[in-house]
Amino acid sequence: MQADVRGGPRLSEIVGFLPLVIFVGVLVYISLNAPNFVTVRNLELVLMQSLPVVLVCVGLAAVVMAGGDDVVSGGIDLSIPATAVLSAGITAQMLSLDYSLLSCALAALLACLVVGVINALLVTRVGMTPLLTTLAMFVAVVGVNNVITSSRRINVDHPWIIALRGTEIGSIPLGIILVAAIVIIGYFAMHHTRWGLNLQAAGGSKDAAEISGIGVNLLISHSFVVAALTGYVCGFFLLARGSGSSPGVQDNLMLEMVLATFLGAAFSPRRVVTMWGAVLGAVLVAAISIGFKSMGVNVFWTGLIKGSLIVVVVAFSAISQRVR
Amino acid sequence: MEPSAFSLSGVVKEFPGVRALDHASLNVRPGEVHGLVGENGAGKSTVIKVLAGVYQPEAGEIIVGGTRLEPATPKTVHAAGVRFIHQELHLVPHFTVTESVFMGQEVGGRLGLAKRQMRQRAETFLRENLGLDISGNRLIRDLGTAERKLVQIARALIDGAAKVVVFDEPTAPLASEEVDTVMRAIARLKEQGIAILYVSHYLSEITDICDRVTVFRQGETVGVFDAITDASAADLIFAMVGREISDMFPAKRHRKTSLGLAVTGLSDADKFTDVSLNVGGGEILGIAGLIGSGREELVDTLYGLRRTKSGSVFFDGTSLRIATAAQAVRQGVALVPRDRRHDGLVLPMTVTENATLATLQDTARVGLIDRKAAKSATEDQIKALDIRPPNADNVTRLLSGGNQQKVVLARWLSTNARLFIFDEPTVGVDVGAKAEIYQLIEDLAAKGAAVIVSSSDPVELQGVCDRIIVMMRGRNVGTLPATGLSIDTLVAATTGAAKVEDLANAG
Repeated sequence: MQADVRGGPRLSEIVGFLPLVIFVGVLVYISLNAPNFVTVRNLELVLMQSLPVVLVCVGLAAVVMAGGDDVVSGGIDLSIPATAVLSAGITAQMLSLDYSLLSCALAALLACLVVGVINALLVTRVGMTPLLTTLAMFVAVVGVNNVITSSRRINVDHPWIIALRGTEIGSIPLGIILVAAIVIIGYFAMHHTRWGLNLQAAGGSKDAAEISGIGVNLLISHSFVVAALTGYVCGFFLLARGSGSSPGVQDNLMLEMVLATFLGAAFSPRRVVTMWGAVLGAVLVAAISIGFKSMGVNVFWTGLIKGSLIVVVVAFSAISQRVR
Repeated sequence: MEPSAFSLSGVVKEFPGVRALDHASLNVRPGEVHGLVGENGAGKSTVIKVLAGVYQPEAGEIIVGGTRLEPATPKTVHAAGVRFIHQELHLVPHFTVTESVFMGQEVGGRLGLAKRQMRQRAETFLRENLGLDISGNRLIRDLGTAERKLVQIARALIDGAAKVVVFDEPTAPLASEEVDTVMRAIARLKEQGIAILYVSHYLSEITDICDRVTVFRQGETVGVFDAITDASAADLIFAMVGREISDMFPAKRHRKTSLGLAVTGLSDADKFTDVSLNVGGGEILGIAGLIGSGREELVDTLYGLRRTKSGSVFFDGTSLRIATAAQAVRQGVALVPRDRRHDGLVLPMTVTENATLATLQDTARVGLIDRKAAKSATEDQIKALDIRPPNADNVTRLLSGGNQQKVVLARWLSTNARLFIFDEPTVGVDVGAKAEIYQLIEDLAAKGAAVIVSSSDPVELQGVCDRIIVMMRGRNVGTLPATGLSIDTLVAATTGAAKVEDLANAG
């Protein structure tokens, strides 16, 4: 009996670690084969590149923690990248029509909040599964953005937005400082407040949370709104990175977001999705993308490799749940 | 008036067609462990839900600490200091002990949470009030079941406001060596002056730990026993059962005709160990056991729904492979499951479709279902089993419980099954249909099938079976012959009030 109790988690821990091992292995392979991959300059590039993914990962981590980490029936929000693109699209379109940055930002905020609230209502009131709800919302929101931007590229050269990319404060890029601040706030809210613990309890065991008097549905709703807000902020970083809004960014963002967040579970001592894990996962995923690029790997192959990695990560997470 | 931590009196609770509680009363004194026992359906769970404020009773009053709760809602009950330790643990596996104890009642500090303070309080409470020395940083999933139970208890009591604690089957999921841990913790709570209501099927625990015991039968309080000793078990059982055995049961005409099923040393991963049993063709074997005894898991395993770890299963001298249910069916095993609505029937499908699910290969030609043949075969079964209304095209959902059960049976009767396993065959079935189902079971055995009946109803087991094995905490603790077996004796064996070997020797 005792042996079973102790033996179970150990096996699941090993399985839970495997995605991380594979990832680190790929990174080591890249750094051995790509010249100058492990340099300060390049690592800064990796960090800058990862910022949009980090932001949406913070949002997705919140949703997964509140809804549970079952990939099919648990909490997930695939619509965050679409929200980010919507935020970028509205801002770019309005800037091109000579609105002030403040009014653009407010309009985009309103639109993103609407997306978050619709997600929350569909999941908690109508009772739809998050996976289908947010996949549908992803498609719908991208559609709205295509209508707004006529599905074309819009250049943005507003100095405040470019500052997210260019400006440095004491040799650290402003963008990195801002995102780090958001991550720290998110971490604190999730792990050092009553709200955050209750949110995790809701995702860990809905029944246990409800019996303890925790309003599970309200917390799930909160998580979708938080996710929409991270998408909102992400929109500005997309504008900065691409010097404007361009259609199609959401697809890769979604892929990397899901990959990074579930990969992140391998970093957590409890083998569950966490804020830190998701953020580290996002940086790793960006490192791999850039690594392949600097190795000169064909872009099409990169897609195959990333897709395979998602399968591996999700498969191991399923296996580790089963042997647990 | 006697002192009382809480009391219920004259409580009536009705559900459509049933009076679940009929002027039930219950009185628990401060600092005592008060047992509540009764058979399944006696009203124990209903009274707990009334006390919890989940059900509003039609009549009666609830008094906690001298104050009448009017109305009793989950909030007022909690405020009055009543706490519930539910049968299910309700813990998050990847939470720490501290986080679990303080779930929903976290303590805030100046900046965020007072994590250290919470951890110290949780550890101190577990050590001093429940006798468990454990780090607050350990994860729930790394703990044993007894330790998890204590964490669950700590969560209910950490605020220090508990005056009455209701334990609902606290030891059901525990292995026997873990039971003592929980019992010691309950004894400690009693020393602290907390009134405890202890609801359990395990009479040996009841007589060990309780000062007084109230017995429910069919929604009524039929007795309150003082000065509980081990010898009280017989009185409790008499009060619990207290009914005449009706002549629902058919005369036993079947005789053993072949070797049948022989199971030796069967174990699964965790729920039962080293179980041996045999039932010949033309015999009916009963399996008795409380929830958590491994009875349900044993039945599921014989049908290939759970994995075996070790042991051998033979039928008529040849090995029976039961790795999957499909394999079991192919080799002539038929299961009538306990939850027929969930596992036994596809409710939106018609009687014909359900009845021919297991025999599609017989009524299908090159993969296509021969609807005419299927329907006429089903109509024969409907006649033979007296399924009402007698319409093969009826949607199964619309049938009564007894008739649904007959549809499940119809499916297996048309196969050439050699081993029939009935799991709680008459739960939710009215008296008339019960008698018919018993007759069908008898007929199967008379035709030479080996039959296993797993049931929580001792009357049913005694009435239908030849022999009854008793499961307790994952082990087969002995076999009782049904002939001349009194219901009291069977209940005593099942609830641990008496040892089977003593009973068998005495008989």
